[in-house]
Amino acid sequence: MRLTARIALIVGVIVAASTLPAVGQQGPIRIGASLSLTGSYAKLGGNQHEGYKLCERDLNAKGGLLGRKVEFVVYDDQSAPPTAVRLYEKLITEDRVDGVMGPYSSPVTEAAANVTEKYKKVMVSPLAATTSIFRKGRKYLFMVISPAEGYLEGLVDIAAKRGLKTVAVVNEDTLFSKAAAAGAVELAKKRGLQVVYQEAYPKGNTDFSALLTKVKSLNPDVIAAATYFDDAVALTRQMKELNVNPRMYGVTVGGDLPEFYETLKQNAEYIYGATQWEPSLPYPGQKEFLDAYKKEFGHEPSYHSAAGYAGCVVYAEGVKRAGSLDSDKVRETLLKLETRTMFGDYKVDGDGFQLAHKMALFQWQDGKKHTVWPDELASAKTRFPTPSWTQR
Amino acid sequence: MNVVITPAMLGQVVVSGILAGALYAMVALGLALIFGVMRVINIAHGPLLMLGAYTTFFLYQALGLNPYHSVPITMLVLFALGALLQRTLVFRVVDAPELSSLLLTFGISIALVNLAQLAFTSNLRAIEYATGSYTLGPLAFSKSRLIAFAVAAALTGLAFLFLQRTRLGKAIRATSQSREVAMVCGVDVRRIHLITFGVAAALAGAGGALVSVIVAIQPEMGQIWTFKSFLVIVLGGAGNYPGALLGGVLLGLVEQIASLFLTTQLSEAVAYILLVVILLVRPTGLLGGRQT
Repeated sequence: MRLTARIALIVGVIVAASTLPAVGQQGPIRIGASLSLTGSYAKLGGNQHEGYKLCERDLNAKGGLLGRKVEFVVYDDQSAPPTAVRLYEKLITEDRVDGVMGPYSSPVTEAAANVTEKYKKVMVSPLAATTSIFRKGRKYLFMVISPAEGYLEGLVDIAAKRGLKTVAVVNEDTLFSKAAAAGAVELAKKRGLQVVYQEAYPKGNTDFSALLTKVKSLNPDVIAAATYFDDAVALTRQMKELNVNPRMYGVTVGGDLPEFYETLKQNAEYIYGATQWEPSLPYPGQKEFLDAYKKEFGHEPSYHSAAGYAGCVVYAEGVKRAGSLDSDKVRETLLKLETRTMFGDYKVDGDGFQLAHKMALFQWQDGKKHTVWPDELASAKTRFPTPSWTQR
Repeated sequence: MNVVITPAMLGQVVVSGILAGALYAMVALGLALIFGVMRVINIAHGPLLMLGAYTTFFLYQALGLNPYHSVPITMLVLFALGALLQRTLVFRVVDAPELSSLLLTFGISIALVNLAQLAFTSNLRAIEYATGSYTLGPLAFSKSRLIAFAVAAALTGLAFLFLQRTRLGKAIRATSQSREVAMVCGVDVRRIHLITFGVAAALAGAGGALVSVIVAIQPEMGQIWTFKSFLVIVLGGAGNYPGALLGGVLLGLVEQIASLFLTTQLSEAVAYILLVVILLVRPTGLLGGRQT
């Protein structure tokens, strides 16, 4: 090949390559996200990532989106909100992705949403449960899971139906737990239960003797605890040590992990836990999702995986119905969309705040989580009341 | 919302406070040793405790070893690790300004936590052993915390005996009083530094073994112990070894009693306010700091 021809060819390739994304309906739709792949949320963010990956695979198996393949571009935000901010900025301005999906957790979403709003990018954020994030007038942010305030609704509902009178609410003093506790107090009052005690404790607290001594002296029927894993374990162990015997005891987060039972063994029996999703819930497409997930990743999905998958499905549905990737058009359809996925119901209000998705309440029974609330999803009856520690 | 505080309730939290205090004292003694001998503030003390908890956990999981029986093994492992850290890294900053040692141990702390995250993942683990409590009248003594108290008290006692009675202990104290004079008297200061860091790490490791049956084990469990130990040695008098004992029990009691009368959330604030007050009244801590 002669020199000029070679140069012409190279120039041609460069020109073609640089104009390709603009012209090419053939190129894949690239969806960007930052996820907590390392750092303190690594495990949960990793599960969410697997949800995205499975969704990508399933969408492509069905011919992609708008006739184009779908491709996720995922970076690691190390569980740090400032890193996520930088990464979404990069995804949108440098990588020029066609759409974005949410990161893991409320604090990271809170930070990243400022970037996606600035560039008017629709962001379905499947793992953010804090109400305030969605009440700041943001126009392009969409919620998938139930808000923190609703976590203990099942516990309060069962308590009220069983005629219990008093409840003590304790919580870790962090964004999510505070909201869950406030929600529980609100719901309890609404249902005529008396909130006899409420106390917050700092993150990382490991000694609950004084708090439980006070709770014990009031002998409440229900202890509602807005927890994560460590504190839920410590609280339960010390309830046994100090012989604190409520007739119902429920936790928010952490109680749903298999490690919770492995750690506490038979002491976890009778404990209620709130959950966004369980593999056993009878939602459409559940079995297919579970089978595909286990085959792909070799382990069971957690609710983070399921929410990630469902969030991606909701976004894809929005794009499909809008017939376009245009943010404002997708936003319009997502605001109007009502659907049911394997994760449960989706319907949002004008703020993108989730209204339809239902929390469930399970109870540890013989080493298994059995859904006991709401009634239409229940797989077992509640074992009520919780016997005292000495009678087990 | 009105809780009436009865004497029995107060008794209960005093019990809990003393049980916790012994553990604080033991872990803080390690920090006090390093500070006393080398003038190094070891920010990585808490992460060493975390590694102790993991050692106990893996011995329990792999070999089914009773977590209390494995305390000596955990201490040996941590002694070796501590000596290794001293040999490779910390010795470089012993004579440097204090900021260098702070930066170095801060770096070691971050590295240990992240290595633990890589090696052990951030999966939460726990050992279910000795749950429940012994009761004495209206008071409950948590089994795991009572054993932790007993072991911590015994180990702290042994550490004191070691410091007071043995040649090596005397050499450590001599080095902490004046390195030059110790050197002139024929003390191998580098070896003393090595042993001191090892013993301190072993005490943190023992703390980790004991808390592994009390709280969940995860890579970030240690940091809070760095802060608590620091609080303890400043309360008691930095570099003053009996002071660590007093500071530990004091912190345990203050935390619990403040939680009872105020809230758990405020108890930390009360502990730090106490620190400020003590520093105002006695700038060298309750029992006085090391003479410089």
